[in-house]
Amino acid sequence: MEPTEHRSSAIGPSLDQNALDSLQFNEEIQHLMTLPPENANSFTALLELPAPQAVELLHHHHHRRSPESNGSTAKLVTAKADGHGLHHPHATPHHFNPGANLTFPSDISLIERAVRFSVFAGINNSDNNHNDNNNNNHKVSSKIDKNNNNNNCSPETTGSVPSNSSGNLGKVKNEPAESDSDNNNPNSPQPLDIKTENQNQKSAKRKEREKKGKAATKKSKSGANDSSEDAEKLPYVHVRARRGQATDSHSLAERARREKINARMKLLQELVPGCNKTRQSSYVGVLAGLKCLGDNCSGFIVQSSVTEFGIHRGWDDESVLCAAADTSMASNMKSYVLQISGTALVLDEIINHVQSLQRQVEFLSMRLAAVNPRIDFNLDSLFVAESGSLIDSSFPGMVMPVMWPELQAHGNRQQYQQQWHHFDGHHQPLLGGAEESHNFVTPENSLLSYDSSANSATLHTNQLKMEL
Amino acid sequence: MRAPSSLKQEFLRKWILGLQICSSSAKSMSISERKKAIKLSADIAMASARNGRTSWSRALIASASKDDNHGKLFVQQILGSDCERLTKISTSIKRLRCKKILKKSSGTIIRRRMKRIPDKAVASSIAKQMVNKRTQILKSLVPGGVFMDEVSLIEETLDYILSLRAQIDVMRSLADATEMMMNC
Repeated sequence: MEPTEHRSSAIGPSLDQNALDSLQFNEEIQHLMTLPPENANSFTALLELPAPQAVELLHHHHHRRSPESNGSTAKLVTAKADGHGLHHPHATPHHFNPGANLTFPSDISLIERAVRFSVFAGINNSDNNHNDNNNNNHKVSSKIDKNNNNNNCSPETTGSVPSNSSGNLGKVKNEPAESDSDNNNPNSPQPLDIKTENQNQKSAKRKEREKKGKAATKKSKSGANDSSEDAEKLPYVHVRARRGQATDSHSLAERARREKINARMKLLQELVPGCNKTRQSSYVGVLAGLKCLGDNCSGFIVQSSVTEFGIHRGWDDESVLCAAADTSMASNMKSYVLQISGTALVLDEIINHVQSLQRQVEFLSMRLAAVNPRIDFNLDSLFVAESGSLIDSSFPGMVMPVMWPELQAHGNRQQYQQQWHHFDGHHQPLLGGAEESHNFVTPENSLLSYDSSANSATLHTNQLKMEL
Repeated sequence: MRAPSSLKQEFLRKWILGLQICSSSAKSMSISERKKAIKLSADIAMASARNGRTSWSRALIASASKDDNHGKLFVQQILGSDCERLTKISTSIKRLRCKKILKKSSGTIIRRRMKRIPDKAVASSIAKQMVNKRTQILKSLVPGGVFMDEVSLIEETLDYILSLRAQIDVMRSLADATEMMMNC
């Protein structure tokens, strides 16, 4: 937990607006640049860029305050956060205000590192970046000239921008494209090594952080055990005012509402696969890394102005959060942020899950539409389909043709019987479980009695006819 | 929690009703139209399997019955006698909520002047924005979600996810069956 202690010990000095002077910026930036080499952790070396980049953007913002900064900063944001293997060799130098003597050791290497970082972050963090960056990408991709990988990915992004929901679909589609492009990126073989090694480090750090973050979350969320237990029972939520918190009715009601929401979200978390895993820790890892760097006087400026800047410019949440984290945030504030953004992460997972399910429905309906131009149903096939759909595990083995033209009805039945008897031995265990509902007359359950002969099959078919 | 197998049975029964309409009416549809019809019938069947108990199902049925193409047909066929009752409920609820939405207008951009901002406010503002953004997205995904408040949104999402899973299982098994049939 070294980063935490390191962080909390260095509360940034309280700078005021005068610190926006360019000379001081120069100092800070050079201070920032020299800091990472001291830190032997290559993870933070990778992350050295966000702070200077953010400061540079800030500098740019303050000295220009013009609409053209939009394009340039958007470009940089895109470079940072969209996870492509992009190179913007000419992007950065052009944005320096000639009045300010910002000197970077080598622009191109910085940008490469930024790209690597963004790739790194893009993989580990959520694909949700693209939700917000879709719009940026849409505007920016038309401006950016030579972006090899962007040409692969931008059609997807631009194509998916038109509506919000389809933008979300596009964002999820982007991910496989990017991870492919990341893996296949021939431009930087070396960064891949650094990336994987940092992923290992990061995952180690993440696990530490995750435990701490989760513990902090639980503590701060539940407070007294009573209130947490009450929150579980959904009808009434008793909220106790904790020490140091406001006791007026608004905040209490707000807290009650929050706890209700959290209780339900826990249910959802259990439902959505993979929700409980290391997603939260990805944010934590980034924050931890940044805090290693941020022990310097630029902290305050970055915090207030960059976050506002980022929010105005529509940065994705992660960038804003990283920028804000790169400040003199005390450790309890950090846990506060994590506590709230944990909700955001869970919502991320839920959204992804719902989107994937909806996409599967679309895909399956397309499959069905493509299979047979004549969707003829007769009752035999109905019977079969109903029964088949319920026997999940065994269904692939016991495939029943569903869509037969009317002529082949009798031939079907023969075939069905053969197949059923063939699989009789396999499905005995299943029968035991389903027998209790045998009395209830549904064609599905009755099929499960495999020892039934063709007679019962026809019997149930007739019952089905009557039902329908 | 309703038993998933009974949900699947319900869904399948109703879906077959819808597909019969599909097959009878669509001799010369293009593939995309067919796909849309199939999907629509599946959605309506799934929603009707809930019998109007959940908000998303009502919203789905309401939107389908307003649809020009085949929505109304499907709704009528699948819901049968319940059709009128349910559509009335759906549309009335929607109208109420529309008014609520119009009243609240949300501006989520937080404007601050460049002065000393406490850490906590920054953190909470960022976090709130993140959560709000995602909530908006989720609302756009779940049918009828825009009319719900956050608490019920999560409940509806739960139910919706379960229904989607059941639907996908049924559809997948059907598709597998037909494809195997076509191959052999």
